Amino acid sequence: MSTKGTHIPDWLKVPFAGITPAPTQEKGQDLFPTGNWRAIRPVYRDKMPPCNNACGTNEKIQGYLDLVKRGKYLDAYALIKEDMPFPSVTGRVCYHPCEQACNRGQYDEAISIRAVERFLGDLGQALPHDVVKPGKPNGKKVAVVGSGPAGHSAAYQLARLGYAVTIFEKSPKAGGLNRGGIPDWVLPQKVLDREIERLIELGVTIKTNTEVGKDVTWDELKKNYDACVLAVGLIDSRGVGAEGENKAGVIYGLPFLRDIGMGTSKVKLGRKVAVIGGGNTAIDCAREALRQGAEEVTMITVEGNADEMPCMAEDLHDMLEEGVQLLHGRAVTAVLGNGKIDALQLHPARFSGAINASPITIDKQAAAEKFQAENVIIAVGQSASLGWLPAEFKNERGLLKIDRFGRLGNTNFFAAGDVVQVGSGQPLMVVNAVGDGKRVAFNLDKVLRAEPLQPRTIPLDVITDLNRMNMTYFPHFARVQQAMLPPTSRKRTQDEVIQALSEHQAVEEANRCFSCGTCNACDNCYLVCPEPCIVRPERSNGLYKILVNYCKGCRVCIEECPTGCLEGVPELDFDTGVTRMDTAFAISPGLHGRQAAELANLADRPAKQI
Amino acid sequence: MSYTELTVWTRGIIMDKEGRDIVNSVAASARQEGKYAQAMENYVDNPDRTNAPTRKYCRISDHEIENALTYENEQPNILVLVEETMVKGWDYLRGMPPGGTLIINTHYTPEYMIRFVPGPERLAQLVCVDAAKLADHKWLYYRLGELGLDRLSTEGAAERSKAVAPDIAAPLIAAVVKTTGIVKMETIEPMISNKHAFRAALDELHIMPLNPVTA
Repeated sequence: MSTKGTHIPDWLKVPFAGITPAPTQEKGQDLFPTGNWRAIRPVYRDKMPPCNNACGTNEKIQGYLDLVKRGKYLDAYALIKEDMPFPSVTGRVCYHPCEQACNRGQYDEAISIRAVERFLGDLGQALPHDVVKPGKPNGKKVAVVGSGPAGHSAAYQLARLGYAVTIFEKSPKAGGLNRGGIPDWVLPQKVLDREIERLIELGVTIKTNTEVGKDVTWDELKKNYDACVLAVGLIDSRGVGAEGENKAGVIYGLPFLRDIGMGTSKVKLGRKVAVIGGGNTAIDCAREALRQGAEEVTMITVEGNADEMPCMAEDLHDMLEEGVQLLHGRAVTAVLGNGKIDALQLHPARFSGAINASPITIDKQAAAEKFQAENVIIAVGQSASLGWLPAEFKNERGLLKIDRFGRLGNTNFFAAGDVVQVGSGQPLMVVNAVGDGKRVAFNLDKVLRAEPLQPRTIPLDVITDLNRMNMTYFPHFARVQQAMLPPTSRKRTQDEVIQALSEHQAVEEANRCFSCGTCNACDNCYLVCPEPCIVRPERSNGLYKILVNYCKGCRVCIEECPTGCLEGVPELDFDTGVTRMDTAFAISPGLHGRQAAELANLADRPAKQI
Repeated sequence: MSYTELTVWTRGIIMDKEGRDIVNSVAASARQEGKYAQAMENYVDNPDRTNAPTRKYCRISDHEIENALTYENEQPNILVLVEETMVKGWDYLRGMPPGGTLIINTHYTPEYMIRFVPGPERLAQLVCVDAAKLADHKWLYYRLGELGLDRLSTEGAAERSKAVAPDIAAPLIAAVVKTTGIVKMETIEPMISNKHAFRAALDELHIMPLNPVTA
């Protein structure tokens, strides 16, 4: 090959004109940069994994699974704690929208994200001090009404931002729905107690037995605090409108669970119990009824079959294992009995619309059935109790009137949790309330600092699907199953049904993560680059770099990126940092004499003309 | 007395023939018009490699070409980039006398492309033509197998396809001839296979006038 006209880098001093020195072994590439062959440039761009997007509070799930995989449990726990104040709780109770969204679910089985979260949460519980520290005090006071998931989350984030937070809780114990809505055999009380201790360690004051509207008024909240978060939840139980619903022995679902959770339950269940409703609370009630001494529990739903029930399939499966019967397509029209319940009168029923939030049509013409039961637990939903709220903040449906930032009008009052989300079409779950509390806390902070509020945007615009990834790198591995107590032994005790993962199992499960769309430092691009022009000081996300002077744009790294993090971008999209190169193939200045003259003046020219 | 140099920058193998068709057809028409003309490939670029930048040269003169045995164009008056990203590569305008013409195959506008051009003060006009779209081009890169070629060489490629300018070369030749007038339209048009793309390009040029040479 002729080297005529080669631009000679400064590090190669010209011995005499017209002769290009041979490239040395370690700097050989410098003479022949191939970057000008490239029409497409590989770029590392982390995208949104579907789990993170589906999570109600946008936990960085890929991030902590990656850290667990590398044995950095404490880092992983700290990462979860950015978005989630109580991973040990959600690691037990969450209905895991992340696992439904998990790309691995389309490949073999979804990652058991909840189990890994519980592993990390339990690790955090065992720490003598939490990794999270309160923020530098900013001298502002915020009141949070309600200590359920949304209130807990808002108080936690506000304390981290440096606010002095006071929580008002109506019940004798803090915890809200976490304590009152979730049975002990799902979430042991001591786990929740520990998480509330952690919140108090952050400097949050919790005032129990304090009801808003009674013990503390709206005006007091307005006067004594800079801002207030209303996370009051849904307290009033809905009825079914049946005749004789007020008879003794008719119990409502959430108060039933709440009294057991608070330790104030006086309910004595009969031998035969009917549960009305087909949702998650109804399932919890039915399983709790077995543990409270009922012999025979039947669930009566309007839904025509089990598939239509608005509940978690796995909870339904566990409930059926414990021996609860299902009776579909019926509605209760009357509670029969003299003083106490003898039986229920049932009529065939169905939802009048396509979804099970639509009104119920009861076929009163059909023959009524009698269903023997000594107790009936009604769990068909809850509604907000907002009698204390000034009328100007209520909308036409009697709910809180808030803007899209959770703010009540132009006040410093914000609302979060189920009380906001009811009727939004979103399923009401703990993690959604936590996310709501978190976002409202950040919005509140902005308002108090007089910054403009911005709508929530996904920081990464693309949600990664399997088509963007290279699946040849992922062998099939079965999901690690969490151990469970056998149905016959668990259904009479308050022992936790689902068991924790061991450390080994948690790492194994985290190892199954595809790391969708996000660099997990697998080193594949580094290895496959034929030049090689990918460098990294160490194996870590964000430290890989492409030497654009040498990258030919062959796309091998893009094709072989397992996670879909690398993508090809047309070269002309980069209008800054134009790399213009002098190569061995650069235009010759012509005749040898002229070349010699030019080489003599080489020192006057910039080394690389950009 | 006039002497014009035309240099075509193209990508090795995948767009090699396009570059060769441009210089060959322009030189052939010039000879038909009774001028002296030369067309050749860059010696040091061969053997070329996939995507590697390669050059094709053409010279047209009213009198006998003095530097006929120099195998590189030192002072190109007209420059064609067969592939748009080459605009960022290096100083391809090196040696261009004032009043030159730069023609780029791109779907971008001249206003966008001028940002990448090194030393645009040498240009009298910048011409952008979306040749790939006009010729309904499917990148040869993906068709190498069906053409019976491999990616290591273009050996024999010219013999396999005897048609001149069947693809993106046709709109580029139209751009060269229309904006510079180095040969007559009626002498070059019969040589072009893809006449449809050639004629369509005549109306689809995006010309940005820059610094005209005042005589």
